[in-house]
Formats: sequence, C-alpha cells, structure tokens
Amino acid sequence: MRLRVALVSVAALLLVVGALVLSGVPPTEALAELARGAFGSKSAWAGTLRETTPLLLAGLAVFLALRAGLFNIGVEGQLVVGAMASVAVCLAVPGAAGVVLGTLAGVAAGALWALPAGLIKAYRNGHEVITTIMLNGVANFLSTALVAGPLKDPSQQSPTTRLLDASTRIPDLYSAPPFRVNLGLVAGLVLIAATAWWLRRTVAGFELRATGANLRAAEFAGVPVRRVMLWSMVASGAIGGLAGALQALAYEGRFYAGFSPGYGFDSLGVAILAGASPFGLLPSALAFGALAKGSTSIQILGVPKGLSYVILGLLIVVFAVVRYRREGARD
Amino acid sequence: MLWVLLVGTVTLASPLILAAMGGYVSERGGIVNIALEGKMLAACAATSLVGFATGSVLWSLAAGIASATALAWSHWLLTQKFRVDAVVSGMALNALAFGATNFFDKRFTDPTHIGEMPRLPLGAYQALAFALPLLLAYGVRRTRAGVRLMASGSDPDKARQMGVEPVAVRFWAQTVTGLLCGLAGAMIVTNAGRFVDNMTAGRGFIALAALILGGWRPVQVGLACLFFGFAEALQLVLQGTDLMGAKIPSEAWSSLPYLATIVALAGFAGKSRAPAGLGKV
Amino acid sequence: MSLAVRLRGISKRFGAVRALESVDLDVEAGTLHALVGENGAGKTTLMRVLYGAIQPDAGSIEVEGRARRFRSSREAIEAGIGMVSQHYSILPQLTCLQNLMLGAEPGAWIAEGAAVARAEELAARMGFRFDWHADASTLSPAGAQKLEILKLLWRSARILILDEPTAMLSPADSDALFESLAQLRSEGATVILVTHRLPEVMDHAERVTVLRGGRRVASMPVADTDARGLAELIVGHTLERASAEPPGSLGEELLAVQGLVVAGYRGDDAVRGADLAVRAGEIVGIAGVDGSGQRELFQAVLGVARAKAGVVRLFGEDASKWPPSRRLEAGLRLIPEDRHEEGVIDEWPLLENAALGLQRVPPLRRGGGLDPGVQRDVAERAARAFDTKHGGLRLPMASLSGGNQQRFVAGRALQLGPRLLLAFQPARGLDIEATRRVYDAIRTLCREGGAAALVVSFDLDELLEHCDRLVAMRSGRIFEPPPERAKDRAEIGRLMVGAA
Repeated sequence: MRLRVALVSVAALLLVVGALVLSGVPPTEALAELARGAFGSKSAWAGTLRETTPLLLAGLAVFLALRAGLFNIGVEGQLVVGAMASVAVCLAVPGAAGVVLGTLAGVAAGALWALPAGLIKAYRNGHEVITTIMLNGVANFLSTALVAGPLKDPSQQSPTTRLLDASTRIPDLYSAPPFRVNLGLVAGLVLIAATAWWLRRTVAGFELRATGANLRAAEFAGVPVRRVMLWSMVASGAIGGLAGALQALAYEGRFYAGFSPGYGFDSLGVAILAGASPFGLLPSALAFGALAKGSTSIQILGVPKGLSYVILGLLIVVFAVVRYRREGARD
Repeated sequence: MLWVLLVGTVTLASPLILAAMGGYVSERGGIVNIALEGKMLAACAATSLVGFATGSVLWSLAAGIASATALAWSHWLLTQKFRVDAVVSGMALNALAFGATNFFDKRFTDPTHIGEMPRLPLGAYQALAFALPLLLAYGVRRTRAGVRLMASGSDPDKARQMGVEPVAVRFWAQTVTGLLCGLAGAMIVTNAGRFVDNMTAGRGFIALAALILGGWRPVQVGLACLFFGFAEALQLVLQGTDLMGAKIPSEAWSSLPYLATIVALAGFAGKSRAPAGLGKV
Repeated sequence: MSLAVRLRGISKRFGAVRALESVDLDVEAGTLHALVGENGAGKTTLMRVLYGAIQPDAGSIEVEGRARRFRSSREAIEAGIGMVSQHYSILPQLTCLQNLMLGAEPGAWIAEGAAVARAEELAARMGFRFDWHADASTLSPAGAQKLEILKLLWRSARILILDEPTAMLSPADSDALFESLAQLRSEGATVILVTHRLPEVMDHAERVTVLRGGRRVASMPVADTDARGLAELIVGHTLERASAEPPGSLGEELLAVQGLVVAGYRGDDAVRGADLAVRAGEIVGIAGVDGSGQRELFQAVLGVARAKAGVVRLFGEDASKWPPSRRLEAGLRLIPEDRHEEGVIDEWPLLENAALGLQRVPPLRRGGGLDPGVQRDVAERAARAFDTKHGGLRLPMASLSGGNQQRFVAGRALQLGPRLLLAFQPARGLDIEATRRVYDAIRTLCREGGAAALVVSFDLDELLEHCDRLVAMRSGRIFEPPPERAKDRAEIGRLMVGAA
C-alpha cells in the first residue's frame, strides 16, 4: 500500500519535472516563479484570494454532496445559473436590497438547477454524474442565450450584461489596494465552519454522513436515505448557486458568456483533495487558487498554463490512491 | 439543406459513436468510464502534433491511439489495482488530458507554420463508426471475448467461479476503449484540420449519455448518438432562422439533446439496464 | 461396485474453527449419495474440498480409483467433477447459452449453430427445454437449477455435487429434478446431494452420510434408517445443558406479526404468511435452516423491507406503515445479520458508530442535535457491556477484530431503553463465554426491563440453551410447537426440516 502511494507520487513528480524540462525552463525556477506569482507580493496575494473565493464555496458544494455519496459534477452549471440569476435581479433592484435579493435568487437558482438531478438519483436511480453534466450543458446554453438576448447590454459588442452599480455590489471588507479582502471570502469561511458544525453536531448531518459512508447500514439505522440524497443534492446546488452569486456581485459586477473559467470542475478537485473534513477545503481551495494565479505568471516564462491542470490531475490521482480506495479494499 | 443536415449528422455522430462504443466496452466489462472525454482530447492533440511533425498518416493515427490507450491503461491500473473510485479516477484523467494537451500544443505547435495535416478520409471513420455497433452487438454474443466481457461486467464474482478472470478481461476491454476513443479523437481533429484547446467540447460526456440512453446496447446506443449528432447538425443549420415569426436562439436547439437525456433518465423508473457488476471488483 | 469418490481423513481448520475433522466418505459410482447435517456441520466445506475450491489441511482424495490433489476447481473439473453451489452461479444478464458456455467456450469464435446443437442434445438427454437466446434472468428457480446441471454436463462432469438443490424449488420442480438425476445415473453419472430435507433423502438416495460438528457420525444405506432416526443423528444427543429459568408472568404483547408476506431477492416470496407474537419478558428463538425467511421477517419488522401483505404491530400499535426511524425511536433495536454491511460504518470511529441507529432516540437526540455527552456515554457503555477491546473510542471501527465489533454492536443494541430486540445470530464469531454474557444481558433486559427479544440462530443448541421458547421457520412460514414442547429438541428439529 505504502509502496503504491510512493510509486504514484514519484511518477507524478517525474511527470511534472519532465514537463518543465520539456518547456525549456529549469524546474526549480518554474516552481519558484509559480510561488512568486501566487504569494510573492500583496497583489499576488490579492489575486490568489480572489481565485480562492469561488473555489472555496464551489468546493464546499461538491464536498457536501460527496459526503452524502453523490458526485455533483453540476456545480459548474449551478454556479453559472446562480451568477446569472443574481445579476438579473440586481439589474432590476439596485442597492443593498438588490444585493440581498440577488444573492437569494442565486441560491434559489442553484438549488433549482440541482433539483432534477436529486430527484432522478433518489427516486429513479439515474446516475447523478450524467444528469448534472447534462444540466451543465443546458445552463451553459441558457445563460449564453440570455446574455446574448434579453440580458445583453446593448452598448456592448460582446454578450454581456450591464455593469452593476457600485452600490449593488458586495463590498470589500478590507481594502488597501492592491490588497483586498472581499466579504464573499468571509462568507465562504463562515459557511464552511457552519457546515462542519452541522455535519458533526446535528442529527441531519449525522444521517447525511451515514448515507454517504454506507447506504445500507444507514437504511438499517433508520435513515430515510432517499430523502437525504435528494436534499443533499439540492443543498449542494444552493451552495453552488451562492458561489456564483458572490463571484458575480463581489468581483465581476456583471454576467457574461463564459462567466466561469471552469470553477465547477476545479471545485471537484478541491473537494477531493479536502478529504473528510470541511476544513480541509481551506488549504485545498487555496492551493488551487494559488495554482490558478501562479500559472499565469509562469506562462510568461513560456510554460503553457495547461501545466496547472496536469498538476491538478496528478494531485487528484495521488490523493485518490491514498484516500479514495473503494470499500472492500481492505488489504 | 436536407442534404447538409444529413451529412452533418453523419459527420458529427461518428466520433460520438466511436467514443460511445469505447464506453460500451469499458462499462460492459464493469468499469465506469467518465474519462472518454479526456481520451478523445488526448488523441486529438497527439494526432495533430505527430501529424504535423512527421507528415505521416500512419504515425499520427498511431500516436492518437497510443495516447488514448495510455490513459485507458491508467484508468485500469487506478481502478482495478489501486482500487481508486472510477469516477474520481476518470475525473483526474480528464484534468490530466486537458492540461497535457494544452501544454504540448502550446509548447510544440509552431503557430507560423502553415501546412496540411495528413489525414485519412473522413469516410473511413464514418464507415467504421456505423459498422461498429453492429460488429459489437454481434461480437459480444458470438465470441469468447464478448461473452467473458459481459460476464465480468455482470457479476465478477460469479464470473470468477466459472474460471473467468475479470481483472484481466477488463485490461483488454480498456485497451479497446482506448483504441476507439483514439479513433474518435483522430476523427474530430481530422474534421477540424488541426488541434484547438478543448476541442472535444464535452462530446465524451454526450457519448456517455448516449450509452446510458441506449441502455448499454450497441445498436440503440448508436441510434442515440445519431440523435445527438442530428441535434448538433440541426443547430448548425437552423442557427439564426425564424420559426413561425419568432427568432429561436440556436442555443435552444443545442440544449435539446441534453434535455432529452434528462427526461429519458427521469422516465427510466428504477430498473436500469446497466451492467449489474458496474464498479464491483 | 467401484467407488467414484473415496475421501479419507479430510481435516480443515479456519482460524480457530475446526470445520472438518478427519472425515471419510465413500461414494459408489452411479448412485445418489446424500450428505446431511445441520448448518455448520461441514457439508459444504467437505464438498468444496472435493471440488478443489478449498485445499484440506490433511487427508486424501481418490476419484474413480486415482489419487488426486486438486489445487483449483479447474483441476477438479478436468477430473470430471462438477458442483452446483447453493447460490447459483447463473449470470442473469447473459443468455442461457452464454451461461452454459461461460468459462468453457468451444473456441475464440463461437459457432452458434453448433453450440446450440450440442446444448439441445444435452437438454434432450435430460428432458429439459430451453430458449437458448433468452436472458437467464427470465429463468425460474427451477430453470436456473436445470441450467446449472446442464453446465456440469457441458463440462463433461461424471460426478455431480448438488448443494441444497431444492432449496428454491417447488415440490413439483423438486420431483422433476430427481427424475432427471435418475436419468443421469442410469447413464453412469454419480450424484452427491447435500441437503437438509430428509424426505428427499428417504425417497431418492441410496446411501446417506451424516455430519455433525465437522465429524462423520454415520454412513449407511437409506433402507436401514428412517427420517426420525436421521433427524436424531443430525441433531445429536447432546448433553442436557442448564436451561434458563422460565420467565414468571409475561407482560403485554410487544410484537405481533399477522399474515406477513415479504418478497425475497429473487422475486419469489421469502416470507409467506407468517404469524408470530412476542410478549414482554420473554426471549423467543426462531430455529430454522438458513434462507427460510428469517432475514426478510426481520427486515419487515424493522421496516427496511416492504411487506406485501399482513400486519406488523409494535408495542400495541399498528406499525405497518411506520418508517424504520419511528420503529427505532419507539424502542426497537437490531443486532443485524451482516454486521459489516448493515450494522457499522467501518471507517467511522466507535464514538460515531455508537450513535448509528440511535441518532433519533432521545436523550441522544436533543432538538435537532446530537448530545455529545450522551453520545460519549452511549459509546462507553456499549463498549463496556461485553468488554469490547479497543484502542480508544476515536479509532475507526475497522481497527477492531470481528469478534470485538460484534461485542460492540450487541452492546449498542442494549442502550437507550430498548423494548424489543431483534437479534440475528447475536453470538456470531463470539466464544462460549462471550455468548453466554450476551444472552445473560438479553435475559436481564427482558426479565427486569420489561422488554422482549426475538433471536434468530442457525445453532439449535444455542437457542435451546438461551431462549424461553422456540418456534421453527421453514419456507417462509412459522411453525409453533405445542406450548409444552416449546423447548423440545426433537419436536423443533422435526418442524425445522419438515419431517413427519
């Protein structure tokens, strides 16, 4: 077992180093640049934190479903519809009221977008991976159509909404440019702590974890497993929607075609890396945020940004070999 | 226009069929495979890069197939030997393929280079794609390999009792999956002319949906792929046209196959035709 | 006559358990030889040794006069031995023909015409008919059994081992099966029949061998014995053990099952109109061979299996429509059959496993939350109840040995005011001392706590020793002996196997 982990880790490391050598960049220099790009200055930190915020919440969405034994690959779509719904509401209702209503709309949209997947999983035994991928596709087309049509800012060439008024944005909690910490980041941290408490201390949280850990044992322990699966999927979607709403209202200030550069997919990696505890999401989201931010810096050195995805994939492989062994693997 | 629609359907459905048949072999053998996408993408990049570099059809196709097969073997190793959850493994391999293709493309493609990638005629891929479901439907019944494949995916324990070694059967199944996804990727890049980042654009997942929609039966899966191909072609043809005075955005047409899949899954009602031993070791 | 099989001194241990101790077996060629005994007597183990699936620790095997040492079933198959296990190895998603061939296909390419022709020929010999291209899932239990036999013939088996072949067959199908077996024997095949159904033995076998506790206790021509005599040999004249003092007066009815029908996993009914009542203060044991419907009965009482018909009354109320959670809250507790699948979560710490199934029971549940103090308390008491050896309540369940897990699960079932305990083999994997302690605790609970217990075990002695009264379960029905014979070994034994 240990040998396998070691083998996989070494193989992964060799692959990354090999890739860097191929790029004609000394591996140590590239890694140093990666770190500098992510943490080397205040603005680097600000960029990393900005990248981390949506990953934290989207990662939590995936994490929650994963605890219930569900792979919510649909966070991407839930995030997109959440962002779009929040911006649509905020365009109509400006000011603080708009922010509150818009955030709620984002949450509701995300939950709604996960509902079919939850229903089909719980009552039709249809695999959630397929339904959520399909829902991602529909979310993508729907948002593209709306942002090119009814929601489009007529003064712009590209498909995008109007920019929200400053008063209709989620404010920075701390701002000393270039360093800023947005309220959205804090919301993510609070929600993670709350989820950790909820999972550990409440009957519902206990039953959710039992469902994910051993469906049959949960059933024998009186857990209504179908209902748990449905509601965890919906809750996961709601958090995904919130991630989109905060990203839109805190950082972007508008919605546009291609709003998410793959936050939903990165968040799968974030959740898998986090392991069993929600607090594992903090280092894991930070690592992904840093990778996203840092990879733009090494691009300047001539290392294609794809390298960060290679690292991501390898990280998941290494962690999966350590942690995600299937049940029955007791050797 | 009808002709365009027909040709479009055939061309767009073919890689879906190739990939879906790859998924069919994998899942019939008992391994969930959500990494069809990654395998196709890897094959796209490898086919294109080696094609431009060597100018040889043979080498470029071989490279495409080899890259997809390497990923397929990784999937086998991770799920069967290291017992990693197949969905997690598939996810990781998709990320790896996405990153690696971008990396190699950016690193080794000369943007100023103007030339032709050597290609097989599309018709070759199309012929294979349309013959394959029939071949597989026949093959799983009439060959020893086919019967053992079905047995491994149906109940690995009972198969083992009958002297069949599911893990070994699955190795060969994954090899075939790699081969077919490699061909699917090669066809996509042949059609497009050269590699573009993320050019498979979710087709691997659509192929997977077709697999489920077709109930893991080759001919029905092929028909589901045709349906998806048709919807994609329809969207290209109908882009920006009016329907009874109202302007329907092309995205509405694009959503059709996705919505159809969701509705179909919702209607399945419990009993699925999935291989019973899917995911069991 | 020549011997088809000659086993001498076969011994096999599994860990501390002696499954077989120096067992001899002689089977004459062309006969039907019955092998009988209780669950755990070693019948199946002995047959798996002959089939090469298990390597014995000692002993010799001769097949048709040649000394053999099988390293795998494949070698046994090559020597002409075939075995149909109790749980069929038919793959429902394959066609009948594919099932027939699997593992012994005629070649890389299957010439279907030739294969069907050979299959038809084999079937015709037995008087069977099959739709070879139909999925095996469409087969009835009898059809599956027939296909299993054809699989052996396809592999040219001359010695056929059938392990409880009639367990899932109707009487008519059983008769048909024995007709086909007679046909086979007339063509020179030898059949070894593992069964617990004595009428079958009396009607169809030429010789019978009785195993008890891993030893051969008798082997004789069937003509020299009768069902009653065999039943006594199977159960044995064990020492009279001190039986628990009978309960004083019984209290209210805590469980009443009326006309219960529950579907089994194969689609046929596993419980077929069961009636049973359990009253406060008593421990009721359900005797019966494995697969008589005990499992499904428990699941229906817990509420995880849907009853197709009938009523389950708990604590004086009609609970038929209650979800499992409400039944648990009302005081139902379970020691499940499959601890690993149904009772614990391996990767969770003991502390969390202690709350599993009790999570909605106050005071552990306080409002919508779990009270950490109560949880710790429950975990400690569950561990202390039967001295579970563990390295700390925060370590995962998987770090415990099987026996210690069982102690913990049994201890957990006694927490937070149980009123009715369903115990499926509560002593599984426990030594004699621990077994006694578990039953003592259950008795205390019933006598002093006003609770009741319903216990399933395949060990009749265990039930006789520890329960206040026994009922027998057979083919999905419950048979109650007359009250004065509720602990009569012979009576229960007869009810279990259906002997006159």
